Amino acid sequence: MRLKQIATLAVALVVALSLAIGSAQSARQTTLVIGGDWTDLLTIDPGVSYEFSGTVIIDNIYERLVKFDGADLSKVVPGLAESWEIAERDGGGTSITFHLKDAKFSTGRTVKSSDVVFSFERAIQIGGPSSFLFTDVAGMEIGSTVALDDKTVRLDLPASINPSIVLNLLTFNIGGVMDQAEVEPNFQDGDYGQAWLNDHSAGSGPYMLERWDRSAQVVLVANPEYATPGSITRVILRYMQEANAQRTALESGEIDIAYDYTPEAFQAAESNANLKTYKTDTFQMTYLGLNSGPGAPFEDNRVRDAVRYAVDQQAIIDSLLLGLGRRMQTIIPAGLMGADSTIYYERDVEKAKSLLAEAGATGLTVEFLIPTGACGGGIPCADLAAKVQADLAEAGITANIKQTVASELYTIYRAQQAQIVLAAWSPDYPDPDGNATPLSNYDASSIAWRNVWNNPEAGRLATEGATTIDPAVRAEIYGQLTRLVATEGPYDMLYQPYKPIVTSAKVEGFVRSAGGDVELDRISKLP
Amino acid sequence: MTARVPGRQPLIRNKAMRRFFRNPGTLVGTILAVSLVLVAILAPYLAGDPLAQDLSARLKPPSAQHLLGTDQLGRDVWSRVVFGSRISLRIGLTVVAASLVIGGLVGLLAGIFGGVVDEVAMRITDIFFAFPALILAMAIAGALGPSLTNLIIAVAAVSWPYYARLLRAQVLSLKTLDFVDASRALGAGRWRQALKHVLPNALTPLLVQASFDVGGAILTAAGLGFIGFGAQPPTPEWGAVVSETRSFIAEAPWASSAPALAILLTVLAFNLLGDGLRDVLDPRGRRRG
Amino acid sequence: MLAFILRRVGSLVFVVWGVGFAAFFISQVVPADPAAAALGNNARPAQVAAYREKRGLDKPPWQQYLLYMRSLATGDLGRSLRTGRPILNDLRDFFPATFELTIAAMLFALALGIPAGILAAVKQDEPLDLGVRTLALVGGATPVYWLAILMLQLFHAKLGWLPGPGRLDAYLLAPPRVTGILTLDALLAGDWEVLGDALRHLLLPALVLGAFSTALVARMVRSAMLEVLSQDFVRTAKAKGLPDTKVVLKHALRNAALPVLTVLGSLLGALLTGAVLTETIFSWPGLGSYATASATALDFPAVMGVTLIAGLAYSVINLLVDVLYVVFDPRIAYA
Repeated sequence: MRLKQIATLAVALVVALSLAIGSAQSARQTTLVIGGDWTDLLTIDPGVSYEFSGTVIIDNIYERLVKFDGADLSKVVPGLAESWEIAERDGGGTSITFHLKDAKFSTGRTVKSSDVVFSFERAIQIGGPSSFLFTDVAGMEIGSTVALDDKTVRLDLPASINPSIVLNLLTFNIGGVMDQAEVEPNFQDGDYGQAWLNDHSAGSGPYMLERWDRSAQVVLVANPEYATPGSITRVILRYMQEANAQRTALESGEIDIAYDYTPEAFQAAESNANLKTYKTDTFQMTYLGLNSGPGAPFEDNRVRDAVRYAVDQQAIIDSLLLGLGRRMQTIIPAGLMGADSTIYYERDVEKAKSLLAEAGATGLTVEFLIPTGACGGGIPCADLAAKVQADLAEAGITANIKQTVASELYTIYRAQQAQIVLAAWSPDYPDPDGNATPLSNYDASSIAWRNVWNNPEAGRLATEGATTIDPAVRAEIYGQLTRLVATEGPYDMLYQPYKPIVTSAKVEGFVRSAGGDVELDRISKLP
Repeated sequence: MTARVPGRQPLIRNKAMRRFFRNPGTLVGTILAVSLVLVAILAPYLAGDPLAQDLSARLKPPSAQHLLGTDQLGRDVWSRVVFGSRISLRIGLTVVAASLVIGGLVGLLAGIFGGVVDEVAMRITDIFFAFPALILAMAIAGALGPSLTNLIIAVAAVSWPYYARLLRAQVLSLKTLDFVDASRALGAGRWRQALKHVLPNALTPLLVQASFDVGGAILTAAGLGFIGFGAQPPTPEWGAVVSETRSFIAEAPWASSAPALAILLTVLAFNLLGDGLRDVLDPRGRRRG
Repeated sequence: MLAFILRRVGSLVFVVWGVGFAAFFISQVVPADPAAAALGNNARPAQVAAYREKRGLDKPPWQQYLLYMRSLATGDLGRSLRTGRPILNDLRDFFPATFELTIAAMLFALALGIPAGILAAVKQDEPLDLGVRTLALVGGATPVYWLAILMLQLFHAKLGWLPGPGRLDAYLLAPPRVTGILTLDALLAGDWEVLGDALRHLLLPALVLGAFSTALVARMVRSAMLEVLSQDFVRTAKAKGLPDTKVVLKHALRNAALPVLTVLGSLLGALLTGAVLTETIFSWPGLGSYATASATALDFPAVMGVTLIAGLAYSVINLLVDVLYVVFDPRIAYA
């Protein structure tokens, strides 16, 4: 390269650099930039997605038959279905008949009942991570969904299934309806269009997928066919793994909303006039799982009680979470029917010691399995574990921390091989059964099973609670169940975290439900 | 990532000692390395419990009570850094020792036997050289699961090939020398030749290389610890400490900077030491960087 | 010459096979089940079993290996367990970002390291030399992730001079993807605003990543220059009355270029290693963060893919360096 060329290039670079400083102002008010750690985002296919990050995106692309209104998860409201009725079926079971509203997919086609049938059966056929919601929880199979005419679709359910639970789970990603005529031609090698749906979308929600640059950004743009568009026409979800990076990016105006704030940064943001803070609800429970199987360290309930007395939950909430969590010692989180906020265990190290002595478990040494990354409320799991370890040590239990990647942790946990595990549970649908069955029914092969806690009474109560329709009776059953599991179960429920979210003061109308939904079209930005 | 220089000087000479310490860099390196070893040995007398928490004194700035402040669990950063030196030194020395043994054996075998053995051994080292060290170490550490021992195995797995090449080159160059031929004529066995002539002569470049590698191993191990493939919490391994305190950089920059500086100084010390050793042992390369 | 190249290509094939084999071997000793990672916390045992069957994870290792090698021979690296996509697609998406960052860092390293090394050699043992040597020593010992955090905190959070993590301001529309190298794509699209912003985003991570390599280059150039400067032909040139600058630039530098060439290979290795750590902090969507995320999910087919690509790149560069060496310096004969 000659000198002249170099000089020309240098001048060009300088010009380019200075141009960039006056970035596109015009786009700012209609573009919303959300920074977050979206590394867990694996798919944007509503029939397969099972991650929190997926929910934020998919719920804004694909409408479901029913949905929740903002953060109110107490009752379902019309989505694609403007009304529905539940009826008894001849020969047992129930059916829900949905009447579709007039809506168009982003492709320009009208939403028909055959699209609903296609979407549901597709999800069942793929058998993805969330498919058990349809097949196991709702008892659906191929043929359960029937298109009566273009605007009417019927869902047939077996007798053992509570239709209100099914309505709840239809609000989740897997209930998303897609345009059959658009998706079907893009099936490749029997993947039901999964690959295609990660770079395209075919929904009727307020937004559609423009591009997904892996590990960089997901870009949504307004769906031109949507009946009631919001003021934000472009939404960018930016990958920012580091909480500190999100913080500085928000403060410098590079992003409008930050999804991962540490408690310290959140506290600082509360007194910053340029920022708004949201302590949003979650249904997550952060807990210690205690292996209660025969011969396992926590077989004796007195040893489990000792753990429950030993760990200082209040200190965790006050000093580590700085208030981004609440005490919840029972298995159903606040916000769902049957939640019980009774404090059964106050910290009592002496009591813990004497319980251990009674059970002949003095000098107990166990392996303490913990995940990598952040735990509920945005604190590093390693810090939480170190605190728990110190508390247990005071009572005389030596817990050796073993931090492993999620896949290894779950492999051990699923094989019933964990001794103490630090984990979290979120219900798959906002209904107490989403916690009650997995956490208390051994036969459900879920959490109670993983901790080898087989209590037939708890299992019976969980099943009864799931199938009971009368709310008052249900509440009574869950009252009994939560008490039983809190005092005898294989857990020390540590806390129910809040999800801290911080936005620029210019962002209006941000609402996040405890299930993770955010209706992006209700958000607007001040100039 | 250092130049590997051949040299055939006997190890210690008084003149050499003088030259060694005349270089200010070497002096600084020696002082740093010696203090590091002293800190590691005397840790219990210099600092308190690195695991003791005090949630009422979280993220406190440096003070008389906490020389380097406290971290997010109210642990004393000074104590964590001081006790961390034991771990880092253990990693550095074990890795180098293991690499010396494994790499040395492979190199000796390849050099002495030549032919197919040589070809196979060298192609295997080629493979290891072609791996990006950290990604390979990450894969190994990930596969074995995070622990201090596995961390050492992972780092050693990526550093032994240097020694294999180095020793092989030594053997080959000595093979051509007269005295080896002479002893062969006298009927000495291959192994006896190797032990008697090659090892003492190869000691010099090996020592230089080892000195650099202690620093390199500590740096690599800390990198692995940073991305979560290192020691188990709450072990105060330096890389892991930087990692777990990094989200508090705005509130408590001391908590992540102190262990990072400790890594820097340690690596620096061993690099300076390596430079100094090379200057003394290999006068030809004396003026090299 | 041809024989030499053929021989090297042959050993390259062996190296690539070895890298693949080693990666596969590692993947087999993993205690954890990748299916568990892919399906998440709430997955039921039946789902895990179905997934294992679908991905061939239930087959004996030797069968898995044969299947892997067979598809490898056809250029198919298999599917990522984590993302579910063909690994080749993932690599194609992530490689350009790393390439861009690595090249930028290498340019920094050469642009800063070479003059620093020359100056230090010319002014041997003067304060300038000491300064360069000290900086080079510190640069070679600094943990790159800490440097990244520190620089970001300083230049982005505190001073606000440079943008934060990422490759481009979110409000700017990225140019159409041609090469995936953002600066090049912006240039091709003639989008100066994007080019400027992309360069501003590139500056800090490239500087941080290049710090270690700058130190390496400066040290190498300095020692190579010192060696050349003491040689006869330079002394002669000086004696003939040629001005110092001319001697240094014309005679010495040319001869010192050769040893510098040899570090290019290790430079690349250092940069790739650094990229793993730097990319995470800077949210840089490259191979480094992809490798970390894959290793964390125990997604070994993906890790194998990254190591294969990196190993291949490394071997090819080294081959090129060796060839250049022969071309530049005919005195070196290769058997």
